[in-house]
Amino acid sequence: MNDNAMSIPHLIMSASTVVQLVMLLLVVGSILSWVVIFQRSIALRRAKQEYNQFEESFWSGVDLNELYREIPADDPRHGAEHIFQSGFREFNRLMPKTRSADTILEGVQRSMRVAWSREEDRLTKHLVFLATVASVSPYVGLFGTVWGIMGSFQSLSMTQQATLATVAPWIAEALIATAMGLLAAIPAVIFYNRLSNDASRLLGKYENFAEEFHAILHRNLQGRDGKPQA
Amino acid sequence: MVKGESHMAVKPPRDPQDVGYTWPTILAVAVHLLVIVFSLIKLPSMSAEPDSSSIVQATFVSTETFTDQAQQVTEQQAAMNNAAEPDVTEPEPPSDEPSAEQQAAEAAAAQREAEAAAQAAEQAEALEQAQAEAEAQAQRRAEEAERLAEQQEAEAQAREAEEQRARDEAEAQRQREAEAERVRAEAEAQRQREAEEQREREEEAQRQREAEEQREREEEAQRQREAEEERAREEAEAQREREAEEQRQREAEAQRQREAEAQRAREAEAQREREAEERRAAEAAEAAMQRQLAGEAEAAANAQQAQQAANSFINIVRRAVEQAWLIPPAASDSMSATIQVRLGPSGELLATSVVSSSGDSAFDRSAMQAVEHAAPFSELRDLAAEQQRTLRQFNLRFTPGDVR
Repeated sequence: MNDNAMSIPHLIMSASTVVQLVMLLLVVGSILSWVVIFQRSIALRRAKQEYNQFEESFWSGVDLNELYREIPADDPRHGAEHIFQSGFREFNRLMPKTRSADTILEGVQRSMRVAWSREEDRLTKHLVFLATVASVSPYVGLFGTVWGIMGSFQSLSMTQQATLATVAPWIAEALIATAMGLLAAIPAVIFYNRLSNDASRLLGKYENFAEEFHAILHRNLQGRDGKPQA
Repeated sequence: MVKGESHMAVKPPRDPQDVGYTWPTILAVAVHLLVIVFSLIKLPSMSAEPDSSSIVQATFVSTETFTDQAQQVTEQQAAMNNAAEPDVTEPEPPSDEPSAEQQAAEAAAAQREAEAAAQAAEQAEALEQAQAEAEAQAQRRAEEAERLAEQQEAEAQAREAEEQRARDEAEAQRQREAEAERVRAEAEAQRQREAEEQREREEEAQRQREAEEQREREEEAQRQREAEEERAREEAEAQREREAEEQRQREAEAQRQREAEAQRAREAEAQREREAEERRAAEAAEAAMQRQLAGEAEAAANAQQAQQAANSFINIVRRAVEQAWLIPPAASDSMSATIQVRLGPSGELLATSVVSSSGDSAFDRSAMQAVEHAAPFSELRDLAAEQQRTLRQFNLRFTPGDVR
């Protein structure tokens, strides 16, 4: 009897409407945050793998023109490849037009910065949602709890004899809201930190690659204004 | 540059590196279902745990040290029962008047009925009183105790009412049967009496007819004798003598017949008497058997009720002691002490003694203090005298278990 009355599904079903809405909100937030967690984890892992592959092929001594030509123009790449592609394209386009090395390098740098910022946007996509869930769901759960306890005290004022048995179910059901809020918030916080850290490290690698690539182009321009030979 | 920018802006948003949302969604839902399943599996065992940790366990100790008072009460009851028994079963003095016998039987039946009714009323009253008092005590205690007691009382009441009804029905049935029996016996007696009268009347008529014929024959003879007087006076004399002889013989025969008739009537009367006697004895035996059966059923019901009352009492004691027990901080879960408690007639604590010690004197002392704080158990007075005797002494086992 007691078992049944105090089980979690029973408590959720007998909760007041506001508390039930809060719980629903928290469940939806938790599910969405987990969707983001899985999606971002997979995406970041792939991006890392692709970056490693590209770095390997870039530093393997292959001709940069060859490397550029391997990338189809209508199939845009991501990550470091994308930065390399946009920078090299700009370099090739500016080479016939001007003989000023500074102008060419400035154009290449600007183009690569744009590509980098696109990459940043792509990598950190949805992480803001995770941060929102992490910071808001405890408060939402707390709101549900406070509302439920308010209801419990209101019902307590109706009864003549205030025993623990009359308050306990109300408080238990109210506390479930807080528990759900924490249940949604804790994974969101952990994975937000982890994923944003991964993304920023990847972006740092991209930045390093862009600087190195820029240095190579600069070196080639210093010798002759011909085509850079790697 | 402008061209490049525009080219990049036109770039299709679909990228092969990007991960779709199908699999993450499925995984997220799976994670939540897993959490729900775990919470459902874990919860029953967690909530069942506090129930099992009953820290004080009570066990009965049947004692031989009965008090004189209670014994006197039972002896009085027995004496009363014995006094009441012959009153009913003693055969009445045999009487020739059936009406007197009937009246006596009726009076006896009425007396029995009145007794049964009085007994039932007394029982019902006692039961009600006990219930009311039990309810009051249960309210004084915790709410759970109240609920439990109410439930038990409702059950006991329902069972008692049913038994009462059954007993009443049996009584009514028995009465009806006795009535029918009596009517049948009466009718039979009436029939026999009528048949007897009829037979006597016929015999009388027969005798009269014979006497008349005799007289006629005598007159005939007289006339013949007168007619033949001169012819054969000696013969007539002899004839008369012979006829007188015959008449005497016939009269003697009639006399003998009458006597035999009377004898037969007397025998029939005796037979009837004997049958009535047997019937009365059978009825008495049946009544005695039914009384015995009713007594047995009553005893069983009383025993059950007593068991329930004892259980509720021991529950109350256990809860009170549990609440009063301050478990010493040094007590470990495995410790266990058994305290024997002896109560006075009104539930006051007479003595506590350690039956089996936990090895820790502080623990034993705390258990004894818990009993002392919880006393007196005034609920004992609400119980029947017989149960009181068995409940006056019991053992309480103290185990802190996993309370902390």
